[in-house]
Amino acid sequence: MKTKRKFKYFSIFNHEKEQEYLSEMHRHGWKFVKVTGFCIYHFEECEPEEVVYQLDYNQEGIKNKDEYVKMFNDCGWEYLQDYVGYSYFRKPADEMNDNEEIFCDDSSRLEMMRRVIRGKVLPIGVIFFCCLLPQFIDSLDDGEYVWAIVSGILVAIYSGFFARCVVKYFAYKKKTEK
Amino acid sequence: MDQHIRKVYIPMTETAFYILFCLQKPNHGYGIVQTVERLTEGRVRLAPGTMYGSLSKMEKDGVIEFIREEDKRKIYVITELGDEILKIELERIKRIYKITQEEI
Repeated sequence: MKTKRKFKYFSIFNHEKEQEYLSEMHRHGWKFVKVTGFCIYHFEECEPEEVVYQLDYNQEGIKNKDEYVKMFNDCGWEYLQDYVGYSYFRKPADEMNDNEEIFCDDSSRLEMMRRVIRGKVLPIGVIFFCCLLPQFIDSLDDGEYVWAIVSGILVAIYSGFFARCVVKYFAYKKKTEK
Repeated sequence: MDQHIRKVYIPMTETAFYILFCLQKPNHGYGIVQTVERLTEGRVRLAPGTMYGSLSKMEKDGVIEFIREEDKRKIYVITELGDEILKIELERIKRIYKITQEEI
């Protein structure tokens, strides 16, 4: 069987694009097998098929794996794997009554975004405010300009990341509340 | 009843309403999905991600409680607090319905 590997990076809050990408690959006869390492997607050749891929982010679900997966299986979703906190599911479109997703209302879609923020954005925020920012300010005060530049660049990158998270979250909130 | 419960459940989402309504009898998540599908003649199909998130949240809020596990499915039932909230919600819906029957 022919297989292929692809590198593809999806930034935070882009799980919808990732889902669409996996469906698109399946539509073209490449079935998703797994994702490993740093964003390496593994596929194997298959009959082209319309399959819906969905990602959930639920740390409690991962902790109680058996009952979590059972709920999805009961509803006809195949569980594939966990990757950096996300759980991957798929269901063939012809087994659905209409367009099915793993979330059926906007408040639970937003709730998932909040879990992503708590699980991924906040820990990075703690590093930022407890380590990077004080380091930057200290090195400016002490006149250590090499350190100031290094930590300054990191502060800029982190600030950019947070700004993007805020923008993405509110864009998503607006979209789901439509 | 504390402010958080009031804010989240009065009024509540359709999903929360169906969960509380079904859990007047002990049931598991998938059982609720099936019951709601039958009661609404297929119009409301609850999804597993929504169900899983809602059940754990509602358990934390103390409006439902876990009673036992059967074949990897957690069985829940409504609590006294949940029952109180459900009654308030039903009264709200009845009031709205009654208003719609009157002329403006």
